[in-house]
Amino acid sequence: MLDILEVSKNFYHRESGQEFQVLCDLNFRINEGEFVCLLGPSGCGKSTLLNLAAGFIKPSAGRLIFQGREINAPGPDRAVIFQDPTLFPWLTAIQNVEFGLQNAGVSKNERHLKALQSLQRVGLENCADVRPHALSGGMRQRVSLARVLVLEPALLLMDEPFSALDENTRERLQDELLRIWLADRKTILFVTHNVDEAAYLADRVLVMGPAPMSLVTEVRVPLQRPRRRSAFEIQNITDRLRMELGRQPCCIPVQKRSHGNENNQT
Amino acid sequence: MAAMANKKREPISVFPRALVSISPFILLISAWELTAVVITSWRSVPFPTPWTTASRLLSALGGETLVDQTLYRHILDSLVRWIAAFLAASASGVAFGLAAGWFRMLEKIAMPIVHILQLVPGLAWIPVAILLFGVGEKATFFMIAVTAFAPVVINVVSGVKRVDVIYVRAARMLGAGRKTLFLRVLLPGSLPQILSGLRIGLGNGWRVLVAAEMIVGTGTGLGYAIIQARWTLDYASAFVCIIVICLVGLATERLIFSPLEKKTVERWGLSRGDL
Repeated sequence: MLDILEVSKNFYHRESGQEFQVLCDLNFRINEGEFVCLLGPSGCGKSTLLNLAAGFIKPSAGRLIFQGREINAPGPDRAVIFQDPTLFPWLTAIQNVEFGLQNAGVSKNERHLKALQSLQRVGLENCADVRPHALSGGMRQRVSLARVLVLEPALLLMDEPFSALDENTRERLQDELLRIWLADRKTILFVTHNVDEAAYLADRVLVMGPAPMSLVTEVRVPLQRPRRRSAFEIQNITDRLRMELGRQPCCIPVQKRSHGNENNQT
Repeated sequence: MAAMANKKREPISVFPRALVSISPFILLISAWELTAVVITSWRSVPFPTPWTTASRLLSALGGETLVDQTLYRHILDSLVRWIAAFLAASASGVAFGLAAGWFRMLEKIAMPIVHILQLVPGLAWIPVAILLFGVGEKATFFMIAVTAFAPVVINVVSGVKRVDVIYVRAARMLGAGRKTLFLRVLLPGSLPQILSGLRIGLGNGWRVLVAAEMIVGTGTGLGYAIIQARWTLDYASAFVCIIVICLVGLATERLIFSPLEKKTVERWGLSRGDL
């Protein structure tokens, strides 16, 4: 479904005038219907990889193949949930959800109906006409989920979507995401730096490190769902992930941290 | 501490609110009266007092002609010129600003020119306008448009550049084409700056309009009336025109920009500088 083939990504650092490598010769495959978490210290290039898969930036070397075709631009088949909900402040919740449908040329009535159903799915049908600034952080992230789910994307790319939320809200949203995922088995690539989150959500966790050792290891989570957060098996996985993460530097130096905002705009 | 700072200060009970809000006008009128009295006795010229100006204003409002035309005709003609030229300048300014804010190359080539345009004082366009269009309506139109254009463009460009790249990414991920990107993301996203650009442009246009009418010889309009009244020593009429000019300026802020801002930027929870 998504193949990452020998992908490297370099960024140009303007102040020092040097190129530095964020991703190095990365290879892996994500299968249809899989829930994969990317875990790694901040600055290791997790978000860069997600931006590559989204088509926001282009790899310096290698290829990303999605459903048999090379990725070269963003599109609604690869939905992105950003860390910030990035709802358009000038549109109401339902208008935000309708935005993508309108781009797809869906008629007005159908659009409204679908958007409302999508909001219902995340429990926010009563907030349809509210603007984002009047919603809480958790509600905004729910709307941003509704905004992409309504487009029925083949792949969901999630970039630390719950990391800015409080503990309680985060767990609720994790459960809602799992409920939605179990219902229609979208493929999900989920970036996180939280070992508990990775162990609870994923089928498979890819542990990343700084270039040139971009992909450190892969940890499978062969556990039935629904899982119990406090279950012994989950704790085992968490310990294993924590150990793997502990071998990595706790964060990659600032000059290496970049999400590709300065150049490579597409 | 933060709570203290946020708390509004207690109103000063000695001065009721209404009094505070009219006091600038009272001060202004007193200073005017004082100036009129002093100048009239000192230089023995008929400096119009607030009182004579007010009675002249009333008679003009009553339909008495002022420099060959009714006051209404002057106001209307000035407004029409101003609005027509401003609409042309703001529509092209916003469109051009959006494009220059998005396409780097266009910005690099075009923006230095716009910045130079902005440095030309409004009245310095008079010879250019007369050379280009001769004396008349076209020349005033040109002057208003050219002085309103630059501030609009400059503000729109900075507005577009301040729209967070993440909104652009979100829109493209949701399948937005270029048209949608411009009209539904960049345009509303830079609206706070667009509004301040339009404000400056409108003000510039108004000031230059009045000045242009004085020189370019349009035959009607508030600026024309001021300069003509001076030749006939009808200073009270000139003062009436000045007052009307100020009132029109105030009204555009109160009736157009404040409501527009309330309806958009404030309702979206954006203040200037967000995004």
